[in-house]
Amino acid sequence: MTKAELTAHITAGFTGRVQVLENNQPEPYFIVNPDDLVAFARYLHDDPALQMTFLMNLAGVDTGERFEVVYSVCSYQLKHRLLFKIQMPRDNAEFDTVMQVWPAANWYEREVWELFGMTVRNHPNLTRFLLADDWNEGFPMRKGWTGTDFIPLPDRG
Amino acid sequence: MMELAPIFTWIHDLLLSLGLGPTWTDLISQIGLAVLVFSLLCIVALFLVWWERKISAHIQQRYGPMMTGWHGVFQTIMDALKLIQKEDIVPAVADRQVFFWAPVIVFTCAFAAYIVIPFGKGLIVSDLNIGILYIIAITTFTIIGLLMAGWGSNNKYALLGGMRSAAQAVSYEVPLVLSIMGVVMVTGSMSMNDIVAAQSGWAGFRWNVIFQPLGFVIYVIAATAEANRTPFDLPEAEQELVAGFNIEYSGMKFAMFFLAEFVNMFTVSAIATTVFLGGWNGPFLPSWIWFLGKTLAMVFLFMLFRWTFPRLRVDQLMEFAWKVLLPLAFVNIIYVGVMSLWLKW
Amino acid sequence: MAEELRTEDMTVNMGPQHPSTHGVCRLVLTVDGEIIRDCVPVIGFLHRAIEKMCENRTYAQCIPLMDRFEYCTSMSCNWAFCLAAEKLGDIKVPERGEYLRVIMGELNRIASHLIFVGVTPMDCGALTPFLYTFRERERIMDLFEMTCGQRLTYNYIRVGGVAKDIPPEFIPKCREFLGIFEEKIRDYEKLLVDNPIWIARNKGIGIITPQLVYDYAISGPSARASGVNFDIRKNDPYSIYDLFDFDIPLGTNGDSYDRFNVRVNEMRQSARIVAQALDQLPDGEIRAKVPLKFKPNPGEVYSRIENSRGEMGVYLVSDGGPKPFRMRARGGSYNHLQAVPHIVKGLKIADLVAIFASMDIIMPEIDR
Repeated sequence: MTKAELTAHITAGFTGRVQVLENNQPEPYFIVNPDDLVAFARYLHDDPALQMTFLMNLAGVDTGERFEVVYSVCSYQLKHRLLFKIQMPRDNAEFDTVMQVWPAANWYEREVWELFGMTVRNHPNLTRFLLADDWNEGFPMRKGWTGTDFIPLPDRG
Repeated sequence: MMELAPIFTWIHDLLLSLGLGPTWTDLISQIGLAVLVFSLLCIVALFLVWWERKISAHIQQRYGPMMTGWHGVFQTIMDALKLIQKEDIVPAVADRQVFFWAPVIVFTCAFAAYIVIPFGKGLIVSDLNIGILYIIAITTFTIIGLLMAGWGSNNKYALLGGMRSAAQAVSYEVPLVLSIMGVVMVTGSMSMNDIVAAQSGWAGFRWNVIFQPLGFVIYVIAATAEANRTPFDLPEAEQELVAGFNIEYSGMKFAMFFLAEFVNMFTVSAIATTVFLGGWNGPFLPSWIWFLGKTLAMVFLFMLFRWTFPRLRVDQLMEFAWKVLLPLAFVNIIYVGVMSLWLKW
Repeated sequence: MAEELRTEDMTVNMGPQHPSTHGVCRLVLTVDGEIIRDCVPVIGFLHRAIEKMCENRTYAQCIPLMDRFEYCTSMSCNWAFCLAAEKLGDIKVPERGEYLRVIMGELNRIASHLIFVGVTPMDCGALTPFLYTFRERERIMDLFEMTCGQRLTYNYIRVGGVAKDIPPEFIPKCREFLGIFEEKIRDYEKLLVDNPIWIARNKGIGIITPQLVYDYAISGPSARASGVNFDIRKNDPYSIYDLFDFDIPLGTNGDSYDRFNVRVNEMRQSARIVAQALDQLPDGEIRAKVPLKFKPNPGEVYSRIENSRGEMGVYLVSDGGPKPFRMRARGGSYNHLQAVPHIVKGLKIADLVAIFASMDIIMPEIDR
């Protein structure tokens, strides 16, 4: 499906609960309410016209004002892809795991939990992952984080 | 022609003429002989290490050792010297006694086998009438050493390696013995000298391999497993078990395992030569050259195996021993029995 | 009565310094003798915080970091990042630049698969193919060195094109390599593909079902070996891949044997692409005019390319400044390692090593 078709199909299929983010990229981009996340993921995965079976990427973003989690999904069968994200307040960031839809989300979500400090509800194994076992310097991927090793690069030219 | 017996007698007489009693004379000359064989084998082992490195290098389009001596011939001697100087590390949790004795057993057993191997005409330390049985028994003893090394190191990888080696050796011992049994049946003797003598016809080319090719193939496969060579080198599979049973060993103890491995390879090649390839029989050249040539050809074959094949998995290894080699070995025995009754070999 | 014999499962720490974990991966294995009951990958030993560092550097400074993202295919990593930046900045790469990117990317894919073809047999105990494949890889490294001066971390593909034009002797040397390469591939196949021990070790071992491919987002050759026909170069063409004629090798069983064959055949296809690109190579600019302090438009983009290990994706957020606001790179191995425990349960330790190698997992891509 093309971008326009995908956008039309999803806004029709997930009526009212999905917001389209306009951009000039070849794939559509949606914003979903964190509460609708699992339902939306399930819809993308199971809808025969979408079949988004392939969770390509899951990235946490700290925009400074709020936290976002961006999901890039694709279909092995139908070869189309899209992005969607959820937005959460910075001080109380919680979202549900999508592991029951895409088991691949396991490590991505652990990473988001560890590096951003967002809580992933219903995740079976939120344990130290990329960082050292005795890490106690907070959440390094947050904006404005400073740690003992962190030296900002001088801004030249 | 060089023979051991006259030298032996000469030393014997010399000592007697010095006024020593016959017991002491015997003892000293035996020890002298043992030292001779031992040092020869050490040289052989050192040579084999170098040879293997050169062969592997040339198979892999490299040069291999080139710096010490002509084409690096002294490389292994230097390596051995380095290993001797190294600190002997014993893991804190190791079972010290077992850990210490394991390489000793492996090393001793590897060398003890040479008592009954005829290196040439008359070049045999002791022509036991149960020569073959003795060799099989003493080489199997190595397994105990490997198992001790695996257990005594108190390391999981070493334990797995030791277990593997025990399982593997026990399994492959059976087809190995059965394949040799064919020859024993025909010869009617277990003495190594008799086996060689039985192959001396046809100007020294009446080799058992011509009559029992299947037995030879079974022997070579089982011997590869006995000597822990690829494709059966599971006890020390470095990609799986890092180094297997010898993972915790360092310095001279490691060198003992290492040399014993190469001596073992030479042993199985020497047995193959004696039992299947006519031993030292051969025209024109001195007998020990024939023996050495044939044995080194066998060693070369094992080295080619190592640098060509991938490794089997442990269960496939067992399956192969019990489901393929063992039935084949029985077929071979039946074949030899029928043929010797029918054709009067 | 004799005391009852008791057996217990043993926990083995495989790694981080284990010869066949391809980097510094630690696998906590629970084994019953040799049979794996449980496998828990522990990662992070190679974590270099590339994503955080990128937030603190300009786009040009990020490219050398991407080299280190996955050092076996540095070209592709550069490429994925530049592609994302170009999408944000609306930059059109000149035609010659695109061709050079394809040539380098495919040569790099061959080089990476050559490492795979060498290392996988080594993990099964055959040491010789490794030296053979490195002999061929050396020729590719020479080509890269000739072009950009580096042999491992190239920093060659830049935002807007490539860093340097190829020297005149590149094309004859490259053609010479392609000329002998087919024969060499046949050599590897003779050594391994028909070898009964190799078949016994790999056929039917470590089967990845299509369902597992979907669940764990397995991509690249490992997915194609399971019969999942998905290649970004064909299905979502980037750069100029739609101009070339090449096939996608597919497997049927999804076992280690198929994964090996798919990669070997992929090298053939890559060589085909390089040959075509060399034939069609146009003259002209190699790089679009991009200011040194490149500032893309604000926005978000996820761009992906087909790397030798799977999908290499870069999610890039720009706030209009000279530095990426957020960069998240995704490598195939990340998902493949995640799937390993589901494949190896009930198999032997030796199988784990073979499967680990056959999935071509590499740690820097996972730890970043």
